[in-house]
Amino acid sequence: MDSRQRNALSLVVILLLAVGAVVMFWPIQDKITQGLDIQGGLSVILTAQETSTTAVTDEVMDRAELIVRNRVDRLGATEATIQRQGADSILVQLPGVKSAKDALEILGSTGQLEFVDVASINDTTTIAALSTAPDGVELKPGTYTPIMTGEVVTGATIGTDNLGKIEVQVTMDENGSRTWGEYTSTHINQQVAIVLDGVVQSAPVVQGAILGGNTAITGDFTPEEAKKLKTVLETGALPVTLKFSESRVVGPTLGKESLDQGLYAGLVGIAFVVAFMILYYRGLGVLSAVALGLYGIIFFGFLAVLSAMNAFSLTLPGIAGLILTIGVAADTSILIFERLKEEVATGKTYRTAAKSAVRHAISTSIDADVVTLVSAIALYFFAIGPVRGFAFTLMIGIVIDLVVAILFTGVIVRMLAEGPINKTPALYGMKGGDQRG
Amino acid sequence: MARRRIDFMGKRNIFFTVSGLLTVAAIAILLIKGLTFGIEFQGGSVITFDATEGISTEDVRSALADAGVEDSENAVIQPDDDGGFIVRIAETDTGVAQQIFEDMATSLGMPEQDANVTTIGPGWGENVTNAAIRALAISLIAILGYISIRFEYKMSVTAVLALVHDALIVLGFYALAGREVTPNMIAALLTILGYSLYDTIVVFHRIRENAMGLTKQRFMDMTNDSINEILMRWINTGLIQIIPVLGLLFFGGETLEDFAFAMAVGLMAGVYSSVGLASPLYAVWKEREPKFQALKKKYADAS
Repeated sequence: MDSRQRNALSLVVILLLAVGAVVMFWPIQDKITQGLDIQGGLSVILTAQETSTTAVTDEVMDRAELIVRNRVDRLGATEATIQRQGADSILVQLPGVKSAKDALEILGSTGQLEFVDVASINDTTTIAALSTAPDGVELKPGTYTPIMTGEVVTGATIGTDNLGKIEVQVTMDENGSRTWGEYTSTHINQQVAIVLDGVVQSAPVVQGAILGGNTAITGDFTPEEAKKLKTVLETGALPVTLKFSESRVVGPTLGKESLDQGLYAGLVGIAFVVAFMILYYRGLGVLSAVALGLYGIIFFGFLAVLSAMNAFSLTLPGIAGLILTIGVAADTSILIFERLKEEVATGKTYRTAAKSAVRHAISTSIDADVVTLVSAIALYFFAIGPVRGFAFTLMIGIVIDLVVAILFTGVIVRMLAEGPINKTPALYGMKGGDQRG
Repeated sequence: MARRRIDFMGKRNIFFTVSGLLTVAAIAILLIKGLTFGIEFQGGSVITFDATEGISTEDVRSALADAGVEDSENAVIQPDDDGGFIVRIAETDTGVAQQIFEDMATSLGMPEQDANVTTIGPGWGENVTNAAIRALAISLIAILGYISIRFEYKMSVTAVLALVHDALIVLGFYALAGREVTPNMIAALLTILGYSLYDTIVVFHRIRENAMGLTKQRFMDMTNDSINEILMRWINTGLIQIIPVLGLLFFGGETLEDFAFAMAVGLMAGVYSSVGLASPLYAVWKEREPKFQALKKKYADAS
């Protein structure tokens, strides 16, 4: 491949990237997920508390996550995200929550596992729902009295029955065994609901009297279902205390205001950067403005792709990172242009000067960018909280900047040097006169 | 081609003195005045009210007292840029803070007010701080490693020295201005580490290029020439870095300002220290190598 073909290929690639990006992010307000601090909502970090009897292990966190998920489902928040943060915390984000106070109350309540005789529930609609699809049915407080609470559970394991089907085995303490034995002896063929925080997790039917506390729950469990039920039962044996470490309630008005301010600040920044570049570098400045435009388009395209994959939401710190990278992107152009001027001044032809300038400048850029990238990566992986959004956009920005510099700015500078700059050097901020001495 | 040369290296002692004084002053201010840590580090709540026309700070304070906040006279109440109020209290219980907000909204006659309440629980700050320190340490080690491999260890040590100098100056400014240290500020500080190195790397790249086959010049003079060669680059990249940050600082609103203040100070310190500190330190160190010592003697009268 000669250099002409290579240039053409680079430009085609960058053009396709840009077009693809526009398709991905248009219309922008729908395609890029907005963070909670912008669209409004409730964001909390719940931290599991270590007690004298239980250390916070991965298993404990599994239970904690299940409890939190269960509560979020109860809130009916469909767009909620639940994420582990660090070793002992869970981040819950509920966009557009109506009553933050209710949500906080439900999220912050102590986990409660109960065994409920379905027939004793004082609410016919609930019983009807339980007979068809029990899982996830919510019991209204006050309409039922549990047979016993989850404290009696001492352990839960997954095993198989003699037919090889998966079952969940529960063991109970002395008190529990007695109550459970008495109940099951007299309530054969009755449905018992296993209820966590008021939500039915499973409602098996009593097959026979269970004496001695060892209960096997059978059903057509998939391994995942069995694991979930086991975790549910364990919340009774080893309760996890969750505490709010951080809670942020943002109203939609304030969020919108912050977004507008951020965008305004960004636009002012871009306007000044572009004005400076064009005044100082003339034609090349226009080139850097185009490069900056491409950079922005590809950036937003990438954010839209991540948003579609549910892997990203744009927060205020994210916007700060984005605006900061405007400087990074323009700096790369400056390095190329300055090096070009310098090489031309040593008497090289524009063509050779451009080749060498692009190569050297991009090598400098990579080194300088990698160092910034290192701090961004460290921040992303080791910091907690909203600043990770900042680190993330910064990381993406640096990488896209290098892509644009290599595939676009550098290529165009080399192409311009083949003719246009030679014809009218002043237009490109170069000194006139024949340089081919 | 005639070129104006500025004798940066000849003035290195002035630079060293300025940097030394700035660093000492920063440390002194930090020790005397100390840093004010935000609620993220010590626990507490921030309640924001917007569009509060006709409501005074005293109204807000009495609403706080009405809502049952015990030390309402110690609460920090400040008006924000958009005619609203930011209220900081020591409450660390999420539910209680929410209730305080609702009571205040009612007694201020703004029942339709959007809730904007942030509560940080006790002990959480320690987590956040530890995570930030870990990020800082890892990032420093990685940067040292990268520069040592790509360039040489003497460059990495001087670059990191310049960086510590920049970070101290930022912290000093925070203490001086009485600005609150927030996790966002820590993030900005970390980024400055990378950013302040941007200019340093640009200079070092040129020094390394010129140092190859250096036989007719003292190392110090070569360093000075290198800086002069890339002078416009140094000025322009610095300028371009700072423009968007100033945009954030002046128009960005509460959260973004937080980032911008640390960054603006850090960037300026970083631009200065790449030429005023990292480069001359490196040159002084290099001139102690026998090869460059010989050159130093040989071309002693050159400048």
